[in-house]
Amino acid sequence: MDLIIFVQQLINGLVLGSIYGLIAVGYTMVYGIIGMINFAHGEIYMISAYLTAVFLALLATLGIQSVPLVLLLVLLLTTLFTALYGWSIERVAYRPLRSSTRLAPLISAIGMTLVLQNYVRLGQGAKSQGVPPLIEGHFRLFLTGSDQFVQITYIQCLIIVAALLGMSLLTYLMQKTTLGRSCRATQQDRIMAGLLGVNTDRIISTVFVLGSAMAAIAGVLVSLNYGSFDFHIGFVTGIKAFTAAVLGGIGSLPGAMLGGLILGLSESFFSGFVNTDYKDVFAFSILVLVLIFKPSGLLGVPEVEKV
Amino acid sequence: MVHFFRSSVQKALFSVAIVALLALSGVSPLLAGEVVKIGVAGPFSGAVAAFGDQFWRGAEQAAMDLNAKGGIDGKKVVLVRGDDACEPKQALQVANRLVDFEEVNAIMGHFCSATTITASEIYADAGLLMMTPASTNPMVTERGLPTIFRNTGRDDQQGVVAANFVVEKLGAKQIAVIHDKSTYGQGIADAFKAHLHTLGLTEILYDGLTRGEKDFNALVTKIKGHRADAVYFGGIHSEAGPLARQLKEQGVSAPLISGDGIVSDEFVMSAGGPSYAQGVYMTFGADPRKIPAGKEVIARYRAKGIEPEGYTLYSYATIQAIAAAMEGAGTTTDGEKMAEWLHTHPVQTIMGAKTWDAKGDLSVSDYVIYQWDDQGSYQEVE
Amino acid sequence: MKSALKESGMTALIAFLLFGPLSGLVLSGYGIEVHGFRPLLMAGLVFVGHLCFTLFARSSLGREWSASVFGRRDGGVTVARGERGHRLLIAGVMLLAFSLPLFLSKYWISVAILALIYVLLALGLNIVVGLAGMLDLGFVAFYAVGAYGYALGFEYLGLGFWAAIPFGALLAALFGAVLGFPVLRMHGDYLAIVTLGFGEIIRLVLNNWGSFTGGPNGVRVPAATFFGLEFSRRAKQGGEPFHQFFNITYSSAHKTIFLYGVLLVVVLLITFFVVRLRRMPLGRAWEALREDEIACRSLGINHVTTKLSAFSMGAMVGGVGGVFFAASQGFVNPSSFTFFESALILAVVVLGGMGSTVGVIVAAIVLTVLPEILRDLASYRVLAFGLAMVLMMIWRPRGLIRPQRPFFPIKGSS
Repeated sequence: MDLIIFVQQLINGLVLGSIYGLIAVGYTMVYGIIGMINFAHGEIYMISAYLTAVFLALLATLGIQSVPLVLLLVLLLTTLFTALYGWSIERVAYRPLRSSTRLAPLISAIGMTLVLQNYVRLGQGAKSQGVPPLIEGHFRLFLTGSDQFVQITYIQCLIIVAALLGMSLLTYLMQKTTLGRSCRATQQDRIMAGLLGVNTDRIISTVFVLGSAMAAIAGVLVSLNYGSFDFHIGFVTGIKAFTAAVLGGIGSLPGAMLGGLILGLSESFFSGFVNTDYKDVFAFSILVLVLIFKPSGLLGVPEVEKV
Repeated sequence: MVHFFRSSVQKALFSVAIVALLALSGVSPLLAGEVVKIGVAGPFSGAVAAFGDQFWRGAEQAAMDLNAKGGIDGKKVVLVRGDDACEPKQALQVANRLVDFEEVNAIMGHFCSATTITASEIYADAGLLMMTPASTNPMVTERGLPTIFRNTGRDDQQGVVAANFVVEKLGAKQIAVIHDKSTYGQGIADAFKAHLHTLGLTEILYDGLTRGEKDFNALVTKIKGHRADAVYFGGIHSEAGPLARQLKEQGVSAPLISGDGIVSDEFVMSAGGPSYAQGVYMTFGADPRKIPAGKEVIARYRAKGIEPEGYTLYSYATIQAIAAAMEGAGTTTDGEKMAEWLHTHPVQTIMGAKTWDAKGDLSVSDYVIYQWDDQGSYQEVE
Repeated sequence: MKSALKESGMTALIAFLLFGPLSGLVLSGYGIEVHGFRPLLMAGLVFVGHLCFTLFARSSLGREWSASVFGRRDGGVTVARGERGHRLLIAGVMLLAFSLPLFLSKYWISVAILALIYVLLALGLNIVVGLAGMLDLGFVAFYAVGAYGYALGFEYLGLGFWAAIPFGALLAALFGAVLGFPVLRMHGDYLAIVTLGFGEIIRLVLNNWGSFTGGPNGVRVPAATFFGLEFSRRAKQGGEPFHQFFNITYSSAHKTIFLYGVLLVVVLLITFFVVRLRRMPLGRAWEALREDEIACRSLGINHVTTKLSAFSMGAMVGGVGGVFFAASQGFVNPSSFTFFESALILAVVVLGGMGSTVGVIVAAIVLTVLPEILRDLASYRVLAFGLAMVLMMIWRPRGLIRPQRPFFPIKGSS
């Protein structure tokens, strides 16, 4: 019986961790390329949740019924529009600050967070909004001879699959393509990459677009999974995802996923077996401990101090 | 030249901005004179701004209706908005602003218990009448401040009603108590727990979740592991909704019981549809929408396309009570005289007749149990 | 002209796509209501604004202007040219600050108190971020320690307002030293996230440890007293209230004015302290460590004690801010100490120009008074505040006032 609970908490943790991981990618990619903590990324995720609901309602009004088609269209539209938001925010709020101090874009991002939250509040109202249940159902594994079971819903499966798929695709993109090579070159030395013919402005924009697209995927699936959101959800999730990115080693793609999973699992197990009150304290303590013994995160490249 | 140009343009821009801001801050909508100003303080921004909107809708309609009948003693009622964003820091500033800058005659507000407690000290000090339509924490009226009232119940009354219902009607033995670690949520959960103990039961689980999160699957699995047969939640709809949904999804059959923080259509929205909200119980005052005195006003709201849910009618009734106190005491400024009058006279509001005890609490607590149905609305449980 | 039109048209199109789904299609239950006019209006505004700006920027006047605003890339620090000339100015500002209660209402004085509290917090964080170069995203922890130091110190130890100021300061300094210790090995943003973690941990513990801290219900804080005389209408702690003792009519503004006066004196003292500190070897070691840690260590500067001293001294100043916050609120609970508060304090420091004392003071006043002024914008207030933050950063990415190095004349040379 205890095994059942254990496995169930494992599944809970994996799902939560995949969500954190998907959002953490945006933080880690932006940090990797311009060394900036993009605080507004949590709000990008929030916006994608709203877009999901808007497009779902729009498709319903147009009379499109087939669930796979609706899911595909909503994913596509939300990702496109969220990416447009990511791109515009970089253009408006960060690009003018490209060559100033490192902290200036951070403050600009905090301002952008307020702007986005309140823009959505004014546009859509302060109420909680939601999406109708689109995919319902679950797999249940019963323990022989009892009514105890372990379950995973279809959407939860989808979240884990999407996280794995998204990460593999991104890793491929970064490692094997010309775009990825340009990204890595810009990451290492922006000026030199520029001299060698890489359009660094465009590369940075691309990174924002990719990060926002991943957050959008998370936004669609999370909205479908939990069914509701409000204009304030970006904040808590954003901080958690950022923590995950640092835990895994900021700047490292697999690190973001690993950090997300560790954070999700530790929250789930601590909450499940010890105490929910202190689960965030536990999560942050893990972070502090990891960084004390491995100051650049689990998979991060140690900073080389130049003399 | 360039240098001169640069600095002078910047100076000019800066001074224009300053002048514009000063001008903005100086313009008040009406010249002082024969008006009664009532401050409406609540969260108009921030995470719980939805409740601020309900406050405003209720107060606005009440003021319009009062003015249509000629105002208070012939003076027009003017409302002044005070946004505290549910932060105690801002509540202090708003309270000072309403008292000294806007010079209001009375205050309806605030929403969050923590902000009401902070701000009420300022109002009491200035001798102004404050009545909250929503803050249920006992400390609001327990500090001996003479001009502080509330037009709603107290957490300790609500917790008792809920605990009696869970134990006697539902016959639950294994009860899990969850709260959201806020002043309101934990307060009401503690009141529930305390009465559970007087009934001779001990909760099997007492745990707090984090506001703003949506994933409570780990907690739900834990509740399931403890084989709870009832779950009490102290908190508001934005967390109660996902909790209700995840309990259903994981196949927990124990009913969820909560307080007046989930009395809003938004609870159904947060749960992800009526099918997930169905069956959840909650404690709330006798539904203002079903009291005959309010029929006409409710029809007026619905004609405008607004559903007067949650605290809308509470706010309306609170403005009515403040207006009645002003007329009854024959003063629009002296809060202590209005307070004396309220202690001794009942007020006819759209929520029926209301009376207040010596502390400033409603003398009759009318909490009853409701249950959400499969249509996304709630019905009283007999 | 044609290209400008084309460019503005593109921008307006993008704006329309951005605003379209979120402001034009409003969710209502599981359906939507179409408000086609709103995104069109906003796109139109963007078009006109962009066109005007482009045309202005292309004119010769605009080119000079944009070169002056966006073209400044002069980084680094400048050296102050002595400060004799400033003395009159400083005296004037001090006189003005002390005379504020004469012509401001209680509301504006309470805003001024909040502004001064933020000046304290920003001065504290400025030591850590601006001078020692360690990004701290959890500064609110020390603010909370100071505030709770007063509240719980009164509840459990019976400390009054005057005793609470040094107590809160020392407690916060102690926390600063303890929390600073594990982070010494870390650099840059890793340090930032660990401090963020500490900030959250402290808030969560304050919230969860209900039996000691009162949990989310918070703790009541006694008001400040004038050498034992209370400012309330009727004395609560026994004895005679202030207005009876001095035989003046009661006014609720007395308490606020008194707190403002004390706070102003404390702020002036701490400002003086911080300014002097920068000229001392310790302050210079902080700045050297910020510029190049390895060089400093090889020159024999003990980086451990230097960093720890920066951390705990910043924390101490923040703790004093917390005590005054608690005294002005009369009630503390954990909802005042969220991460957003840390971000706001950091915004003050960055906007002020990291390392610049005057800049930080100006920025603290701007960022606390601005939201109050914006109250007339009602529901657009926070939106406008966020926009102002972004615009100020674009306008002045290095802060309002450029930091200056203290000037050290060498004896014997001119």
